[in-house]
Amino acid sequence: MIKLLRLEYLKFRRNRVFRIMALLYLLLLPGLLVVGFNIKGIPEELGSIEQFFIFPTIWSLLAYLGNWLSFFFLGIVGVLSITLEFEHRTLRQNIITGLSRPQFFGAKWIWLFTLSALATLYYVLVAGVTGLLFTETIYLSKVAEGLSNIGRYGLMTLAYASFGWLVGTLLRRTGLALFSYLIYAFFVELLIRWALHFQYFPHPSMHYYPLNAFEDLAQPPIPQIAKEFMRENDFSLYLSTNEAVVIALAYLFLFWALIYWRMRRSDL
Amino acid sequence: MTILKIQQLQKRYGPIKALDRLDLQVEAGQVFGLLGPNGSGKTTTMGIILDVLRSDGGHYEWFGGLPPHRARRRIGALLETPNFYPYLNADDNLAIIAHIKDHSQTDFGELLRIVNLEDRRQSLFRTYSLGMKQRLAIAAALVGNPDVLVLDEPTNGLDPQGIVEVRQTILDIARSGKTILLASHMLDEVEKTCSHVAILQNGRLLAQGPVGAIIHQELTVELACTNRAGLMALLRDLDFVSQVKAEEEYLLCQTARLENVAEINRRAFAAGLVLHHLRARNNSLESEFLALTKANNAAS
Repeated sequence: MIKLLRLEYLKFRRNRVFRIMALLYLLLLPGLLVVGFNIKGIPEELGSIEQFFIFPTIWSLLAYLGNWLSFFFLGIVGVLSITLEFEHRTLRQNIITGLSRPQFFGAKWIWLFTLSALATLYYVLVAGVTGLLFTETIYLSKVAEGLSNIGRYGLMTLAYASFGWLVGTLLRRTGLALFSYLIYAFFVELLIRWALHFQYFPHPSMHYYPLNAFEDLAQPPIPQIAKEFMRENDFSLYLSTNEAVVIALAYLFLFWALIYWRMRRSDL
Repeated sequence: MTILKIQQLQKRYGPIKALDRLDLQVEAGQVFGLLGPNGSGKTTTMGIILDVLRSDGGHYEWFGGLPPHRARRRIGALLETPNFYPYLNADDNLAIIAHIKDHSQTDFGELLRIVNLEDRRQSLFRTYSLGMKQRLAIAAALVGNPDVLVLDEPTNGLDPQGIVEVRQTILDIARSGKTILLASHMLDEVEKTCSHVAILQNGRLLAQGPVGAIIHQELTVELACTNRAGLMALLRDLDFVSQVKAEEEYLLCQTARLENVAEINRRAFAAGLVLHHLRARNNSLESEFLALTKANNAAS
């Protein structure tokens, strides 16, 4: 696996788009916190802005901000990691040179897993430092309260990257795959969920769609609003975190199985 | 030792049979040409034995049954176009090839010198001309000093100078004892570089064997004299001459050996027929190829 990871590193270390993606993620994750901290006039019932930056709330606040960044950057990296190989016909060349198809799959998997792990480590670093700076008295129990966010954040980043990988594997063309990835997230899934599923079958299963499940792994740190909505409408806006984890894992394994099957079966 | 054994290989693209129960065997040290017109199944065959295409039937084995991906690490291959990461330079691209092949090579100066790319080794692949890309692909095929080279139309798109260079490189490699499988639609290329040849048409094997056996050793003789009718009659009487026919400028006939050509000249002079043109030429692979494909078309 180390050999395969090094192979992917050799391929992409000098790729400008990958470098820009990494740089933007590194800058924007703390950058969004700075922007958030300077927001004036938040509703009174939400309390002061500082409370979002202390343990344990900082874990879920940064996870929620990181949710958007992961969707864009990890997802796009997932798409590009495979479509560039198709477009340059280097996937074909890798196989000719001596990789087996399962090895090629394994190389992509360990590459995206490692990027997701690094993105998660950075999230831990930024959230940890921010929490330490803003929390007056640090109780380990309070810090630990939000630690489950770390696992869910890791799962979320891997899920977005894998979804991008799947879209890229199915469509092969970079432009088409990126367009489809974004269109699916912003329109297709929302339309299916709210215009079809909710209209004809208003059941909590309308939240079981992949990107919604991934998004619900990191929910906004203002659950009281959601709880109020649930009480009033007897209907949940979000999956519970446990539901989100189970559903996201199920989708992940499904995506990997589809990619693997496609990789084994198709002409390159 | 058998390097590659292909048995009953089949591939369809929709209704089209790209390969129709193909059998081939390549032995160590051969420079084996896969010859056929475009669409005859050469690249499909190579794609399948290099695992980028899935066959619909039959099987192949490398080196007596080595797992295919391990076998491919002992093979240097150039299939159709050169495929590299455009944002990397020659060294970085070759490092990826070496890494996949489990080869510890880190200095590619010698390889790049062989293909005349040493001066451009730090340039990004996307800045290369087609000829340079093709030459880098040949360098890539040589990474790790492979036992076997698989080359698909290696001179495609090259200028005459590039063609000569690439052919010379292939011949040099062949002399070092490596086995080479070369696909080409250029008869001349196969004739000049290969020891053995298989001829394909419409996915079917038409002939296979040493180039010398496929090219019949008969010579074509061109003759001309002022008395065409007399010369024609004389040639038809000679038992060591066959297929006498008149063309616009010359009479043509076939004979087995070069000594026979001298005998034709002597007999003609003795009969008072003074030749003003006499030329013996080898039958080209091209004529053999056309004859074979013609026979195949007639049979089907």
